[in-house]
Amino acid sequence: MFLARIEGTVVATAKHPTLAGCRFLVAQRLEADGSAAAEPIAVADWLGAVRGATVLVSTDGDIAREKLGNTTPARMVVVGIVDPVQPPVSAAGETA
Amino acid sequence: MRLGIVRGHLTLTPAVESYRGRTLVVLEPVTMENLRAKNGKGGGKALIALDELGAAKGQMVAFTEGREAANPFWPSQVPVDAYCSLIVDSIDVGQ
Repeated sequence: MFLARIEGTVVATAKHPTLAGCRFLVAQRLEADGSAAAEPIAVADWLGAVRGATVLVSTDGDIAREKLGNTTPARMVVVGIVDPVQPPVSAAGETA
Repeated sequence: MRLGIVRGHLTLTPAVESYRGRTLVVLEPVTMENLRAKNGKGGGKALIALDELGAAKGQMVAFTEGREAANPFWPSQVPVDAYCSLIVDSIDVGQ
């Protein structure tokens, strides 16, 4: 599993039949220092990730097989959306 | 899945029996820089993938790698480790 940043959406008419109705996003894998990998990836998403969101991507195809059937070639799936970093809260409960 | 541009097709003689009648494409993976520039360039290391969608030269596809690439042939076992899952119509990556 790795973190990736959502960069956009993929529109595709011709696809493997099991992928009909499936939402695909373009994402860039993130390194530990926050920099992005050179090559983008297309990930299946059922959670509603939006552009700019950091997501956790699993490369295990079992989730996709469960949802789309044994013959699906889908593999990389968004398994969670990382919470945005919260601004620090002061003792009075107000955001700084 | 990664994204790649079809650079050509491949025929094999001979080939393993399970490849009979199947189409292989030469793919050049696309970098984010070239994807944003929409310049038709790839930039990645070329690879071969099995294609059942009829992708033409110059078209962009998303391809699955690894064990999942052979899933479409389940339960038969076909020695495939890259498979064209979809042909990209358009990609919206903003600016």
